[in-house]
Amino acid sequence: MSVYGINKVCYLAQMDLNFRERLKRDPEAALVGFPLTHDERRAFLEWDMASLYKAGAHTFLLSRLPRFESMGMTRADYIRSMRSTLTEEERRELEAKGQR
Amino acid sequence: MAEIAGAFATPHMPGSPGQARENPQSETAQLFGAVRSHIAEVDPDVLVVFDTDHFATFFYSNMPTFAVGVAGETAGPGTDDWPGLFCYYPEIPLHEELGRHVHASGINSGFDLSQTQEFEIDHSIVVPLHFLNDEGGKMKRPIVPLWVNGIAPPLPLAKRCYALGGMVREAIASWPSNLRVGIVASGAISGDIGGPKAIDGQPFAWPDESWVVNVVNRMRNGEIDELLNEATADRLRAAGNVSGEMLNWIALLGAVGGRKPRFLEPQLKGGNAYGAWRWD
Repeated sequence: MSVYGINKVCYLAQMDLNFRERLKRDPEAALVGFPLTHDERRAFLEWDMASLYKAGAHTFLLSRLPRFESMGMTRADYIRSMRSTLTEEERRELEAKGQR
Repeated sequence: MAEIAGAFATPHMPGSPGQARENPQSETAQLFGAVRSHIAEVDPDVLVVFDTDHFATFFYSNMPTFAVGVAGETAGPGTDDWPGLFCYYPEIPLHEELGRHVHASGINSGFDLSQTQEFEIDHSIVVPLHFLNDEGGKMKRPIVPLWVNGIAPPLPLAKRCYALGGMVREAIASWPSNLRVGIVASGAISGDIGGPKAIDGQPFAWPDESWVVNVVNRMRNGEIDELLNEATADRLRAAGNVSGEMLNWIALLGAVGGRKPRFLEPQLKGGNAYGAWRWD
């Protein structure tokens, strides 16, 4: 597990415009060289934000990824994955407020 | 001989500049405008800005708890681009000597501040300055940024942030020439960005309204000790991952010696508040 590496990918997605573009267009190549485990790399590529969140990545940083369409991911894809981490009670609370 | 002339606090939602331009009658535009009126009437010479950077000026490679900017100018928001954040300022003047003085005063009074002499700033400073300090597309007054880590736990204690404000007040009092200083605090009272409770189509979750109401009431009543005791790490975490931004408000309260605000309006839907402290 390398939370620093996950956070750094998100940091650079904002700060480095070339990296931002590569992470959007060719994410597999863009992630080469980062200190990520096999599973963390897979989580980025499969939009499995829940795994990165559960690993301890900062949610403010993770939320940059859909903003910049990193890995081609939309905000709806992002929210879908993140919501899978909610407890049943938390999910019911959200639904009561009209969220899907 | 310098003095604090007033203090002003706003949130810094990145979409607000665009929203205010499109709809000047919106609640957000009106609230920013109210604080701008207060700062215009007080008209300080320089602004010391308590701010929480959002992983742009600083990252985990180097994450100061408290840091002061000591340089001649800066720019922003750089690559921190959001929908509605249209305003890029290539030249934001800084009051370098006051920054150096605050840094040294802090060190000499036991406040071990970090410093940075080359940096850019993100929306968290640019948005308040856009509303409070823009005149014809340029910055009217120089600023001194003073960053409080309100986003990457462990966060500083609330009472330490209050003491930071007091240190800044004493540093200003020991400045050797006439200078009227305005304090600006930037940030939400409650906010959660990017978490699993984010609203459909948005990066943010619903704020913790009861916490916002409580903080606003404490400030209105001047109940500083109560507020410092309540603003624990656990309470801030429960209020959302950027709720540590309210530590900038706490630092402002320290700078004005716990005075009550002349103007303070919550904006519950956004987890925000807007305030002005004056004694003129």
